[in-house]
Amino acid sequence: MDNKSGQIDELISQASELRWKIGSDYHDKLTEGIYADAASITQRAEIRKDNSASYNFDRMLDKVLTSRTFGFPIMGLILSIILWLTIQGANYPSSMLDSLLLGTVYPFLKDLSSQLGIVWWIDGLLLDGIYMAVAWVIAVMLPPMAIFFPLFTLLEDFGYLPRVAFNLDGLFKKSGAHGKQALTMSMGWGCNAAGVVATRIIDSPRERLIAIITNNFSLCNGRWPTQILIATIFIGALVPAGWSGLVSTTAVIGIAFLGIFFTFFTSWFLSRTMLKGEVSTFTLELPPYRPPRFWKTIYTSLIDRTIIVLWRAIVFAAPAGAVIWLISNIDISGHSIAYYSINFLDEFGFLIGLNGVILLAYVVAIPANEIVIPTVLMLTVAHFGISNFGAGDGVMFDLDSETQTAEILQTGGWTLLTGINLMLFSLLHNPCSTTIFTIYKETKSWKWTSVATILPIIMGIVVCFLVAQLYRILM
Amino acid sequence: MIDNPYLLLGLFFGLVLLIFVGIKMKWSKIFVSPETRRKTAIEDILKQLYHVEYSGKTATLNAMAGALKLTHSKLVELIEEMSLLGLIRRSSDTIELSESGRDYALRIIRVHRLWEKYLSEKTGIHKSEWHGLAEKMEHNLSSKEADELYKSLGSPRFDPHGDPIPMSTGEIIESNEETLSHVKPDATVRITHIEDEPDAIYQQIIDQKLHMGQQLKITHSDDQFVKFLSEGEEYKLSTIVASNIGVKELNAEEISEAETIRLSSLGVGEKAKVIGISSECRGANRRRLLDFGFIKGTLIETEMEGPTKEPKAFKIRNTLIALRNDQADLILIEKTS
Repeated sequence: MDNKSGQIDELISQASELRWKIGSDYHDKLTEGIYADAASITQRAEIRKDNSASYNFDRMLDKVLTSRTFGFPIMGLILSIILWLTIQGANYPSSMLDSLLLGTVYPFLKDLSSQLGIVWWIDGLLLDGIYMAVAWVIAVMLPPMAIFFPLFTLLEDFGYLPRVAFNLDGLFKKSGAHGKQALTMSMGWGCNAAGVVATRIIDSPRERLIAIITNNFSLCNGRWPTQILIATIFIGALVPAGWSGLVSTTAVIGIAFLGIFFTFFTSWFLSRTMLKGEVSTFTLELPPYRPPRFWKTIYTSLIDRTIIVLWRAIVFAAPAGAVIWLISNIDISGHSIAYYSINFLDEFGFLIGLNGVILLAYVVAIPANEIVIPTVLMLTVAHFGISNFGAGDGVMFDLDSETQTAEILQTGGWTLLTGINLMLFSLLHNPCSTTIFTIYKETKSWKWTSVATILPIIMGIVVCFLVAQLYRILM
Repeated sequence: MIDNPYLLLGLFFGLVLLIFVGIKMKWSKIFVSPETRRKTAIEDILKQLYHVEYSGKTATLNAMAGALKLTHSKLVELIEEMSLLGLIRRSSDTIELSESGRDYALRIIRVHRLWEKYLSEKTGIHKSEWHGLAEKMEHNLSSKEADELYKSLGSPRFDPHGDPIPMSTGEIIESNEETLSHVKPDATVRITHIEDEPDAIYQQIIDQKLHMGQQLKITHSDDQFVKFLSEGEEYKLSTIVASNIGVKELNAEEISEAETIRLSSLGVGEKAKVIGISSECRGANRRRLLDFGFIKGTLIETEMEGPTKEPKAFKIRNTLIALRNDQADLILIEKTS
């Protein structure tokens, strides 16, 4: 027995000695051997069709789409067309949904509830609060998403999007990011939550986190209308009427580009500080082009992207509607909660060139950027006792006329500075709760979810603060 | 409430400056307890002694004080404490490790090298930072935690610089490598070790893109310079730098055919055969490339360059894969016509 265990010990020590001798790379050699064997086995069994004709066609297409002269202009053109189709095309169905949900169904429900004699506060909470917020989000959000995502998915199916990543990778590499972030960034212009989901295409852990955290700097669908409205009222008004359209459009595009700048800057910053330790790899497959499967694509993009995101938005918008109605209707010694909150936030609001109403609106509208402007209008009317507009305490509204909107805002003490800073703050603030929830689902990490939530809001406060002080010094 | 914009801006920039200085000063260093600092110093002395003895020299107080950046009186105080603990034996002016001191030193070195291995395999931290991080970690990890790390890394025997990792029993091999500065011209060698101290020299080696496992053909060697060819590039190193690189001479069967170049130097339209992936390419990166079929013998062709020259797309097994230049640098090929 003793002899046997002695032999075993000897064997073990011999094995250990040998392991020193085979060197450090024997694991690698072993793996490579397995891969090489697997490859030679498949090669024997594989039957390959001759598809050199389609291969050559692909290369011809690649030569144009990734060429030094045409690559970037073609990309810019395709993206502009998609954005134009989305913004223009969404107008009609949006106003149709608006008049259906808010113009027809809402009065009908109000009527019904008064006939049934439902208590005023249940009626208010359910219809003026919850129903209103949900209807608003659907009307503003659904049409652009239903146009943007299918178009995007068609390009993806065709095989063009990997080429975009290929073209732009040199640029993204400088900021420590992955070329595919170009795609998730553009997806973010449709909806940040969808942009965050789309980061699944980036297989490198560090670059994927960068793409997730910076996606919020892509000005999303819910924020475009705010930008356009405020730019028209405050920036367009600075120049003669003939020029106002051009100037305010330029301002909005400027904000979108500022978002791109912040995307690169933040990517650069994160990859050198917080995310330095995460694993980073790079691979980009350029699949062959193929005719997109039109109906299948439309169907899957509607189900996978539009409906899921819309559902999450509704789930979050409903409680927000309730909160908005409640803070305006619960009175403590003669004043609503909204009144106290606005007064409390006013001083800090002034410090960063905004005001209490805007800050409160951003707090209650965390679930959806779409309802910021209606909430701002409702709160301003209620807070300053403007009598000829509005639909009552806690009932969101907006106006078709920009002059009337401007009138309300000016009564609320808004200046050019407030307008500029609202545009900046709308770009640089926390993601909506749908996006925050999606970030958590994708990263499964509270740490990165908090970073993605808090980082942009710190940036927003700093930028607005600096602009406010400079404006006050210069003007 | 202050509303003077000048004052506010002043306050703001003051605050930013304060935060910046705070980060630069590394506040965490100030709050280290004296005992921890003492333990760290003792462990550093043990490690230094081990290295000195390993290289066959004897340690003197003066040289130790210089290498560890300690004052003479502080060092003497620590040395006295260590002899009381039985970690070292001292004679008039030389110091020697005792058996238990040697074991202790090997435990520290084990953690240091395991941690470097961990950083190289499981994180994206650049190799120039591994050493500094491991210097901190070696004082914090217990033997038990080190054993768990060892298992989770697949029981490695060597760290990413080619140094042997001591076993938990204290077992370690003596290296019998040559340094690059001593190799005669015309020999073909493989890099088996890159010393990561001192920092300035290690940085030069990194800048030259020299890495473990690289095969070199020496063309010239004298008291001042070593010149050699490798992976299609010509190199010239000063003897001081070259003496920090350990190599192993290769015999005739181990030498791969002369024309090994890097994939990054393959022009558009040119064809080649893959020879292998450099051992510098590790962890997830290496597995990815293997998945795509970058395996010995596979045919590869540079298909196109992006508008900004990088990345390049390569055709391999009928698919187009785009790689960045720093990755293509690590794939070795042989041109075919």
